[in-house]
Amino acid sequence: MNLTFLNAAFLFGALVALLPLLIHLFSRRRVRTVDFSSLRFLRELERRKIRRVRVRQILLLIVRSLILLCIALALARPTLRGALATGGGRARTSVAIVLDASGSMSRARSGGEEERSLFEDARSVALEVAGLMDEGDQAFLVSAAAPARSLIPGGTFSRTTLSDAILGLEPGPRSTDYRDALETALELLSGARNLNREIYVIGDLQRTGWAGAVRAVPDDAPAVYLFAVDGSVRNLGVASVAAGRRYGGAEGLYSVTVEVQNGGARGAEVPVRLFVDGVQVGRAGVDLPAGERGNAQFSVSVDESEWHSGWAELPADALEFDNRRYFTIPPVRRLEILVVRADGDGGRDDAYYVGRALDPDGRGHRFRTSVIESSSLPAQDPMRFPAVVLADVGRLGGPEVEWLRRYVSDGGGVLAVLGDKTDVRYWNGGELPGSNAVPLVEPFHQASGLRLAPSGRGHPLLEGLVFGERLIDDIVARRGFVAEVTGVEEVLEFPGVGPALLIPRGSEGASGEVAVLLTGVDPEWSDLSRSGFIVPLLHRVVEQISGRGSPAEGVLVGDDLASRLPGSSGGRAQVTLPDGSVSIPEHLGGPGGAVVHRDAEQLGVYVFSRGDTDKALGVVNHDPDESHLSAASRSDISTMLSGLGHQFMDPSSEVADRVMEARRGRELWRALVYAALALLAFEMYLARHRSG
Amino acid sequence: MPDESYRRFLDPAVVSKLATMELRARLIVEGFVSGLHRSPYKGFSVEFAEHRQYMPGDPLKHIDWKVYGKTDRFYVKEYEEETNLRGYILLDASASMAYSSSSDGMSKLEYGRYLSAAVAYLMLKQQDSVGLLVFDEAVREFVPPRSSPRQLHILLSMIDEVEPSSVTDIGLVLHDLARRMARRGLVILVSDLLDDPGGVLPGLKHFRHLKHEVVVFHVLDPREAEFDFDVDATFRDMETGELLTTEPFSIRRDYKSAVRKWMERLRRECAESRIDYVPVLTTTPYDRALFSYLEKRKRLG
Repeated sequence: MNLTFLNAAFLFGALVALLPLLIHLFSRRRVRTVDFSSLRFLRELERRKIRRVRVRQILLLIVRSLILLCIALALARPTLRGALATGGGRARTSVAIVLDASGSMSRARSGGEEERSLFEDARSVALEVAGLMDEGDQAFLVSAAAPARSLIPGGTFSRTTLSDAILGLEPGPRSTDYRDALETALELLSGARNLNREIYVIGDLQRTGWAGAVRAVPDDAPAVYLFAVDGSVRNLGVASVAAGRRYGGAEGLYSVTVEVQNGGARGAEVPVRLFVDGVQVGRAGVDLPAGERGNAQFSVSVDESEWHSGWAELPADALEFDNRRYFTIPPVRRLEILVVRADGDGGRDDAYYVGRALDPDGRGHRFRTSVIESSSLPAQDPMRFPAVVLADVGRLGGPEVEWLRRYVSDGGGVLAVLGDKTDVRYWNGGELPGSNAVPLVEPFHQASGLRLAPSGRGHPLLEGLVFGERLIDDIVARRGFVAEVTGVEEVLEFPGVGPALLIPRGSEGASGEVAVLLTGVDPEWSDLSRSGFIVPLLHRVVEQISGRGSPAEGVLVGDDLASRLPGSSGGRAQVTLPDGSVSIPEHLGGPGGAVVHRDAEQLGVYVFSRGDTDKALGVVNHDPDESHLSAASRSDISTMLSGLGHQFMDPSSEVADRVMEARRGRELWRALVYAALALLAFEMYLARHRSG
Repeated sequence: MPDESYRRFLDPAVVSKLATMELRARLIVEGFVSGLHRSPYKGFSVEFAEHRQYMPGDPLKHIDWKVYGKTDRFYVKEYEEETNLRGYILLDASASMAYSSSSDGMSKLEYGRYLSAAVAYLMLKQQDSVGLLVFDEAVREFVPPRSSPRQLHILLSMIDEVEPSSVTDIGLVLHDLARRMARRGLVILVSDLLDDPGGVLPGLKHFRHLKHEVVVFHVLDPREAEFDFDVDATFRDMETGELLTTEPFSIRRDYKSAVRKWMERLRRECAESRIDYVPVLTTTPYDRALFSYLEKRKRLG
């Protein structure tokens, strides 16, 4: 049993119940003394009557205090919850139903003869809860599929509206976010009309759906009731697909790595099929222990001049949406590369050698370079250059730094080559993009060879450039910088000194990447300019850092999918969705600028186009975490819900009974008012006797 | 000046009215023999006054045989003679007699003074002897009955000087006086009787037992009878100082009932003993109360 007060502020009014006592005490003090001839008769009466009068006085005092107390408590609206609060009484309630419509809910329930998904079970529970709405009750419906959102703006007081909204909801490929959904529900209920508030969470309570403890729990938080619908946790899913260009071989050769995860309790041999442009191009088997991940490798050959898309596929199982994962292979195009030198520099500096390496014969076969001084940087069109090389630029002015930050934030890639003009303190100040991740310790002035770093082994950019653990060329660095890095991939190193080349591996996201070469290309610094290694190395690095506009692996369902349409053909951009429908994307800025399709809902390949020639592909995939189907433990959930009173309910029982039993609250204000009236009548009777 | 202070008891209007009044003993009292025996005192007039019915114990020589012959009933002759009626005025001067419910009203003692003065004047006017006994828990002052012209001055002076004090023990005083009285007389008690009736009534009856005639003027303040207080109060006994806090309006009805029963008991037992019980309130003018009583007494014979 639980007694709560819906208007707890009025409890202070209970102090008014002390008023009769105070008046009585105050009056007693003011009783005067009167001389009387004889107390003979009064003494006799005291024995019989006056004591009774005193008892009646005390009784009147108690009754009057109780009247005021009843009124104050009635105003505080006490509500009794629990099995003892029977009688059919109930308080008006505002309810938020958090219904899990994430991808994991589309799997079949465990056991049972009927083919029925978990979401259908959850929906049945939600409809039963909705059926308990009474006059004056208010309801909100929140989807727990990320990002959580309210499906009935402003809520509803209509049972029909709520039921229709529940029936109109279907599970999608989105991942789960219970924390976000609960926080949304709390925010919705904070403005609710009724003071009695509840949250019903109905779903598989998937462990990966609990990102952390619920934040901003108010003092008068509503009660939370959790209904867990159970389903099978056996599941195989494609966790990731990475397509990378292979160097050192035929043109158009790509390596595709498919990562598969086994969410079951038993090991399995998983057949993986690879499709490119709709045609199966490979099949491989992966032996996966229970709970483990494994990779299947494929090599494909495509026309480098065009866009290609494909997917990796597993056999059908209980959860369909994670059995396929999409990828794209962008065409290899000539790229405009901006090479920036310090103001006043010229001649054969780092910028010269970088430019020569990228475009050896000056014809711009693969890269067309534009070399400028740093002060000219703010005047450049960032959309024109997918990559920028900072060739030993040293300190930059405010406008240049601002331009670079915006450029990287919009997806542009930067290669920073450090040299003579690099100021360690300035670099460590963090103004330049990427400098925070690569703090410099000090320059070094000793000869050091350039070597493959242990973590660089197998890096696709060095394919064909290493023999075993040795580079194809012996390169000496005479000067460089010592750096302490964590979390950044080291590709090359100075043996015994530290990293030499840091290139982040490809990752999803719209912001650009920054690679850092900790020695100069200038012959005074290293032999790179004299080595044949420099050309393929710079080509591959620049190619990699310039490829962020259309990430091969795409974005997760529900995210914004952006693309950059090259060329300057006229016409409006459009995006064709996987189901064939066409949408108009949002422009982020200028012709040739990025376009974005917001809140991509469908899994698959999206085709961005403008006119007949400009085309780019993007893919939307599921969140691999959603493939982990095991539910969070009750203790873990309770930890996440600390600060929120909560109960775990059994959805297999009569939901209505359980809900009403949990909710059954009887407002007691009426009873208190009746009690006050009865006490008032009694007081009048006692007081009437008094004047007799 | 003492002479000036007690003269207030001789209001001319009251005195002139008293001149037409008399207070005679109704019951046989011992006195000088009249009519049949030579009085040792000269100057007595022995004139026939009236008949009255024979009562056992009356001397047979006073029977009027003529009336018997006519009526077959025994009557004795009363003579208009100086019977030397001895009157004893007993004035209660205990602390409770000082009570007055209003600041400008008359206290019971003051009322008693006036009443006592009037009775003394009346009796002396009709050449009876009258004495005064002032008491509280014991006899404080005593003036034996006399009929001299100076007696009035003596009595009025004493009446004027009486101050209330101490507690009451009426019964003890009555018994004490009863023992002292050698001859039968008329006892006039002026008191609030706020004492144990179990002590008061035997004292009064003691007088009757000794063949004295007794008149009780029961003087009360109206508030003592009505108890019409309207606020809670702590009451202080004027004689004992005892305190008691109560709600007057809650107990008023019961208080009045108790007072009524008390007075009823006094009236009943006084009547049974042929004691005149005269309850008076201090708001009733004393002369009116006295005259009313005298007229009633005269009517009833």
